Amino acid sequence: MAKSEKAKSFNKNFKARTNRQHALSFAACVHCGTCNDSCHYYLATGDPAMTPAAKMDKIRAIYKKQNDWLGKIIPGWVNGREVETDEELQDLMDTVFGSCTGCRRCTFNCPFGVDTAILVGLARSCLVDEDIAPEGIKHVMKDQWEIGNQMGITKEEYIDTLEWVEEELQDELEDPDYKVPIDKEGADFVYVVNPREIKYDPRPLQAAFKIFYYAGFNWTMGSEGWDNTNFGLFSGKPDLGGHMGNLAYNHAKKLGVKQMVISECGHGLRSTQWEAPNWGKANPLPFEIISLLEVMVDLVNTGVIILDPSKNPHPVTYHDPCNLSRSAGITEEPRFLLKRACMDFREMTPNRGDSYCCTGGGGAMSMGEYSGRRLEVATVKAETIRATGAAICATACHNCVDGLSDLIKKYELKYDFGDGKPKLLPVPNVCELVAEAMVISKEEKKAAKTAKPDLKGKKILVIDDEPDIVTYIETVLDDSGFNVITATDGTSGLEKAQSELPDLITLDITMPGKSGVQVYRELRTNPVTKNIPVFIITGVTDFRQLMYQKDVKAPEGFMNKPIDNDVLVMTVNKLLEKAA
Amino acid sequence: MGDYIVWDSLGSGTKLVMNQLHYGGLAFMVLAYTFKIWQFFQKPLAVEGTPARGDHDRAIKYAFMTLAMPWEIESQWRHWFRYLEFGAFHLAMAVGIGWAFIVPFVPTVMMNPVICAFSQLFFILGFLIGISRLLRRILSAEMRLISSLDDYFCLILLTIWMLSGIFAAPLKSETYLFYYYCLASFFLFYVPFSKISHYVYYPFIRFYVGKHFGHRGTWPKKHTSVET
Repeated sequence: MAKSEKAKSFNKNFKARTNRQHALSFAACVHCGTCNDSCHYYLATGDPAMTPAAKMDKIRAIYKKQNDWLGKIIPGWVNGREVETDEELQDLMDTVFGSCTGCRRCTFNCPFGVDTAILVGLARSCLVDEDIAPEGIKHVMKDQWEIGNQMGITKEEYIDTLEWVEEELQDELEDPDYKVPIDKEGADFVYVVNPREIKYDPRPLQAAFKIFYYAGFNWTMGSEGWDNTNFGLFSGKPDLGGHMGNLAYNHAKKLGVKQMVISECGHGLRSTQWEAPNWGKANPLPFEIISLLEVMVDLVNTGVIILDPSKNPHPVTYHDPCNLSRSAGITEEPRFLLKRACMDFREMTPNRGDSYCCTGGGGAMSMGEYSGRRLEVATVKAETIRATGAAICATACHNCVDGLSDLIKKYELKYDFGDGKPKLLPVPNVCELVAEAMVISKEEKKAAKTAKPDLKGKKILVIDDEPDIVTYIETVLDDSGFNVITATDGTSGLEKAQSELPDLITLDITMPGKSGVQVYRELRTNPVTKNIPVFIITGVTDFRQLMYQKDVKAPEGFMNKPIDNDVLVMTVNKLLEKAA
Repeated sequence: MGDYIVWDSLGSGTKLVMNQLHYGGLAFMVLAYTFKIWQFFQKPLAVEGTPARGDHDRAIKYAFMTLAMPWEIESQWRHWFRYLEFGAFHLAMAVGIGWAFIVPFVPTVMMNPVICAFSQLFFILGFLIGISRLLRRILSAEMRLISSLDDYFCLILLTIWMLSGIFAAPLKSETYLFYYYCLASFFLFYVPFSKISHYVYYPFIRFYVGKHFGHRGTWPKKHTSVET
């Protein structure tokens, strides 16, 4: 059978990129099956094709054909085979992107230490070069190459968010002179973050800034190279990985900092600290790279910040992000902090290096094509969380926050906080619980959770098919001083958006008739409504395609149901301020 | 109780496989492995240039020791029976190889009834575990899916080799001794091409993964979930 052009090119690149570590991981596997039940994809589905060895054999077959002595002569004897058709490449994509998060749990369980993640990375890199990858991965790669961050955030938008957080903290800290330093030369460290904190959820950002404030740090944010995420890792492309790393390293060098502190992002820390310096040939770096978790541990150890665990009275468990626990050596720091910041810390089993993946790793959150499978296999993690009986599932990674939030919804992991109405478990970053537990000498005050004076009366259109939800959002926003109009289906929502021209639209995704995704696309393509900020409020995961598959502009805000009043008002304030 | 083999009156065929063929096979295997390892070293190495967070040396030692530390690897303690099988099977192979190389030099020592019984015990264990592993590979859908012809061939041949060892170990039958050495010699020629070569890769892959995870402070594992 004649090979397709793409298959030929794929096989050629595969051979050229196979390094010594790959070769050993390919050759050493004896098909003993020990790794089988270390993989959540297999455990959840029971499908023999989902065992790590079976998945890797699809790639190993190529290695065997190209390198194994018998594989070259009688390939059938050792299951050696190169890829021949475009359909086979698609099937390989399904395996290496859609059926493996590269969490390395199987590597820890393999008597040899066969490193599945590097094999997956090799196959992904060769597929990406043939333009075969999930759409979300392609879009994010493009944004990282062209704009320098994974969510295509402009410099203006980035500065706007920092200024917004600054204003929030001026209120919260009761310090009108409080400033978020940007490009401060002579700062001790630069804080490098996940774009999700800028674009969609600035709470971890706010918590970290608050901690830095009370610690009295001399620090700065960078106006460039501020994205710690790196789709070089998820696409297997070291050139992109090196590019993203060098953006951050070069800016830090320019600022002359002594340290680069990485926010709570698993793959962000792994990429920036361990992978990108090698990919980008940036070693040795003139500064140290550490995690925010390590900074907080040091602050608590030295007594610079004091924690009062009674401020977090509900039982808390901790999910170990794979990239921290298995690929970056961070397991004890979050435990140290949570045991001091919370009244009741409960260990999850298994944990640390044995922890199950949140199912959102390896770029899975940006692959809408595989959401269904991702949530199906999440049952394994869901049951380990449920067994803890915890009210809160903390973690130290933004992908994990999203992955866990999705599975908590899907598997209805709830806790009764005392009002007789069980609520879905929240998934905060560790720094949020630490910031909450900080003993602050000044009188403690939270930012006013009402509309800011200049935003009072702004018109907000609420589109949601559930009358209870509509009433709830309407009441909260109305009480906060906004002018609320409502629609209970997509069609009337679109009509009202056009006729009323609101300042902001909150939009549900799952609605009968016209779905939220359809409504969103129509809003964005209609010249009259295309610039109105849209705030997705949903209980489903389909909205992620709007974030990563950027055929239309991404929504300005999103929030998971059930709705948290404070976050709702805070986000509405933020979006309206930015729009103004 | 039959008589022991009279060593000086062994047939020329048996002598050929026990000596020339067996040692010729060993020489071939050494050459083949040397070439194989040389080929691996031709592949570029992914070099680590970042400052270490953990202790490489300790992690490399840990990587080599985990096989004997079932509590450190979940798949080992969770499937403890399979782990014991694995240990006994590999010990049986080691006994089989050692036996084959020692017998020509000190046959009378190997005729000691205690040594005979010890060797036979491992050959029996090796044979039974071989059968068990073969059945698992055939009956389990998961194992069938990942098994190649080479996997079956190696396992069947090793199991037959262990069976021949059971009868050869007492050193009372030249016929079984001949079969045993035929198979042992065949292995020496075939092993470099087969999955049985995995033991050659073991030190290299454990070195690299130990160094990798040790560099990042991940290994030795700080804790396992065994405690709970």
